[in-house]
Amino acid sequence: MFPLDSPWNISFAGCGFLGIYHVGVASCLLEQAPFLVQNARHIYGASAGALTATALVTGVCLGEAGAGIIDVAKEARKRFLGPMHPSFNLVKIMRHMLRRTLPADCHYEANGRLGISLTRVTDGENVLVSHFNNKEEVVQACVCSAYIPVYCGLIPPTLQGVRYVDGGISDNLPQYELKNTITVSPFSGESDICPRDTSTNIHELRFTNTSIQFTLTNLYRVSRALFPPDPMIMKGMCKQGYKDALHFLNRNGLLNFNGPHRDRPLLANGEENEDYIDDEEQENNSDEEEEKTDVEEGAVMVLCSSSIEEHIIEHLPHTLHKALIEACMERRSLTQSLSNLFPVRMASAMMLPYTLPLESAMSMTLRLLEWLPDLQEDVGWMHEQILKILLHVLRQASKSISQHVSARFCFQLELHHYQSLPSRISSTSLLSNWVNESSSSVLDVFMRLDQYKRQLLSGGLCFNMDLQGSFKAQQVSPDKSPSSVLSPEGLTMDRVCLDILPAAVSEETISSS
Amino acid sequence: MDPATTTAPMQNDCEAESSSVWSWWPSWRPTSMSLLKTTESKILACIQNDLWSRFVTLPNRDRIWTLTLTNNAVRKSAEKAPKTPLVMVHGFGGGVGLWIRNIDALSRSRPVYAFDLLGFGRSSRPPFPSDAAQAEEQFVNSIEQWRQSVGLENMILLGHSLGGYLATSYAIQYPSRVSHLILVDPWGFPERPQPQTQEGQGQGSEVVKRPPLPRWVKVIAAVVSLFNPLAVIRAAGPWGPGLVNRFRPDFKMKFEELFDDDTMTQYIYHCNAQTPSGEVGFRAMTESLGWAKRPMLERVHQLPPSMPLTMLYGARSWVDSSSGERVVQIRDQANTKLLLIDDASHHVYADQPVEFNKVVENICNSVN
Repeated sequence: MFPLDSPWNISFAGCGFLGIYHVGVASCLLEQAPFLVQNARHIYGASAGALTATALVTGVCLGEAGAGIIDVAKEARKRFLGPMHPSFNLVKIMRHMLRRTLPADCHYEANGRLGISLTRVTDGENVLVSHFNNKEEVVQACVCSAYIPVYCGLIPPTLQGVRYVDGGISDNLPQYELKNTITVSPFSGESDICPRDTSTNIHELRFTNTSIQFTLTNLYRVSRALFPPDPMIMKGMCKQGYKDALHFLNRNGLLNFNGPHRDRPLLANGEENEDYIDDEEQENNSDEEEEKTDVEEGAVMVLCSSSIEEHIIEHLPHTLHKALIEACMERRSLTQSLSNLFPVRMASAMMLPYTLPLESAMSMTLRLLEWLPDLQEDVGWMHEQILKILLHVLRQASKSISQHVSARFCFQLELHHYQSLPSRISSTSLLSNWVNESSSSVLDVFMRLDQYKRQLLSGGLCFNMDLQGSFKAQQVSPDKSPSSVLSPEGLTMDRVCLDILPAAVSEETISSS
Repeated sequence: MDPATTTAPMQNDCEAESSSVWSWWPSWRPTSMSLLKTTESKILACIQNDLWSRFVTLPNRDRIWTLTLTNNAVRKSAEKAPKTPLVMVHGFGGGVGLWIRNIDALSRSRPVYAFDLLGFGRSSRPPFPSDAAQAEEQFVNSIEQWRQSVGLENMILLGHSLGGYLATSYAIQYPSRVSHLILVDPWGFPERPQPQTQEGQGQGSEVVKRPPLPRWVKVIAAVVSLFNPLAVIRAAGPWGPGLVNRFRPDFKMKFEELFDDDTMTQYIYHCNAQTPSGEVGFRAMTESLGWAKRPMLERVHQLPPSMPLTMLYGARSWVDSSSGERVVQIRDQANTKLLLIDDASHHVYADQPVEFNKVVENICNSVN
């Protein structure tokens, strides 16, 4: 029994075109247990789940929503490369659809109740947006939540001045960890409402909180999330969603439970039809309810309930059913049926190398034109991003270079130090020489600086300096005190030497001390 | 009885095991038996009752890592009538550490034994035959030899997932040793549905439920089934722990009350990143991604009708409780019980530990 004494939430997982499953689930919840939807404290959604969540919260006709998804899928399937074809603009279609279907005052109902999972671009963190100032923001939040980078485009959309992408990347099933969240996912796994595959695979993945069992059917579903299947299969998924939701309600004893406030089902049209189905179901179910609590009778109960499900599945909500059937119907004109013939398809496939660039160019110009209003903002954003990346690269490069420099300095000085031991003359004594007799050796210092620079750039030639050192050593008379060879003094002298190279000073002091 | 003294010589064993010719070579996988041991001891540190952990050596020199928990107070008071011990068998890819939220509470009234299955966790990892029946036999034999070595006369046998399958198989072969069989979300019960039977049932909904799978899915499945189930996390090498963290964050969540860091996911990683052995045995027993080659529903009638059997299922689990209902139909109704635990996934014992412990405690008390 699902605990109804404390507030509960409903959470829809992101799933691309499998969102049609959510429509089935939502229609079942609305029809069989409307109080469950109306009294839910929050309805969350990510990606495609956000669309259904929005529809549920704002009371949009679900038939329309389902038909919309199927229409988009048909649009995507029309082209040779499917949704990857350049002229398929998912964001535009979706935005248009949302604007058309959502009522103008939807933000009042959505405010505080609808939670849309988004991924912030700047830090990759998850954001649950639940405050909307106007309808446009609701639409934009849905678009952001479904904006799969690369698949939908390259420049992430903004909501309230912040760039967001697909919520599924950071949290595909918002608030699933709360005990009282009804989780809905079209992937078979451990969500509350999900298809039950007849598989006994032990392996299970959690894709950003969505439980996905490792089964063949799930593999197929995942592939269909971005590349939509045939409309009839999508309708089947919708039915499956309805059935699974019904199963959930039945299991939790919510099927003929009359909620405290059952005044107005949100589904506006076709209310009469559903009510009569609903009543019929209640009669059928009342006798099972008693057995529900008794676990011993489990087998009997499940047998009965499955027959009920079979019965109900014949009556998908009338409006939904009709809308789906209509959406599925291919308006077969002569040209379409002609283009479906095998030779024609072959020809079009072979022509693809020629037609594709043309079509791409066309759609690109179209997109550019549509982009014009946002151009300034987006270019500004891109400019910012590029600057950021450049800065980052620069910082990294300078860090690594300075590390190289310090390492090499260390190495070289040490090498120098040891190699000059036999000749009993060290670079330090040389340096002191220079410092003392600055008039003659300033030129040498500059020469050496030049040498360092060259070594840094070329990367090899470690012994160059040494050669010079020994060369120098030959020039200078070897009567300097051998005590200066001692390492502490050598180190201090290194510092003196490096003071001349202000760029690397800080690194060197760290590494030498 | 002191865990510290018993585990001390064991550490030497661990190091002896790993010192092969290649031991100087930096490992691709950041794991070892001693790392597993450290992580496990971090988990077992939560136990408050008396814990005795040691390797039980079987006649064939395989070693089974065993925990024994007893409650001091109870042992003194109940000396006259010793209670039947509870033996817990973990599931695929797990180990004794996963029972951390249960063993302590359950050991209050009776001794609790938990062991790592042969080829899993810290137990020996011998090669397994590729034949389903032989692999199962090896698992079941190891359990029986373990029982003999530990010296238990009879026990309440509890198995989760794969452990449930093996426990059932064990109970069929050695029914006199099992006072009560508890199966928690057992794996491997239903038969793989044959394509013909589906057509025979021929319902519209059945067709809707399973759209014909495209060929490439089958090709991928065929390729995947060539590998051991968890080969991915071994192949991932240094990224393996991150992979477990990313794709199984639920383990971290389930044990959040005890550990607020990655202890649990690390434990899972170290359990499974070692040389695969139990996995090989498991693969031998499965076909086409997870179906049992020798499904238990065909054999469950061989359990003596008088043996009490309780099946616990998580309500949210992907394991279909309908196979439990089938078992109820097949077996004597009086001795078979089926319980659903609400709001629990496949890992029932970790999701709803309080509820789970209560149920198991009740079952145990019904024995003696």
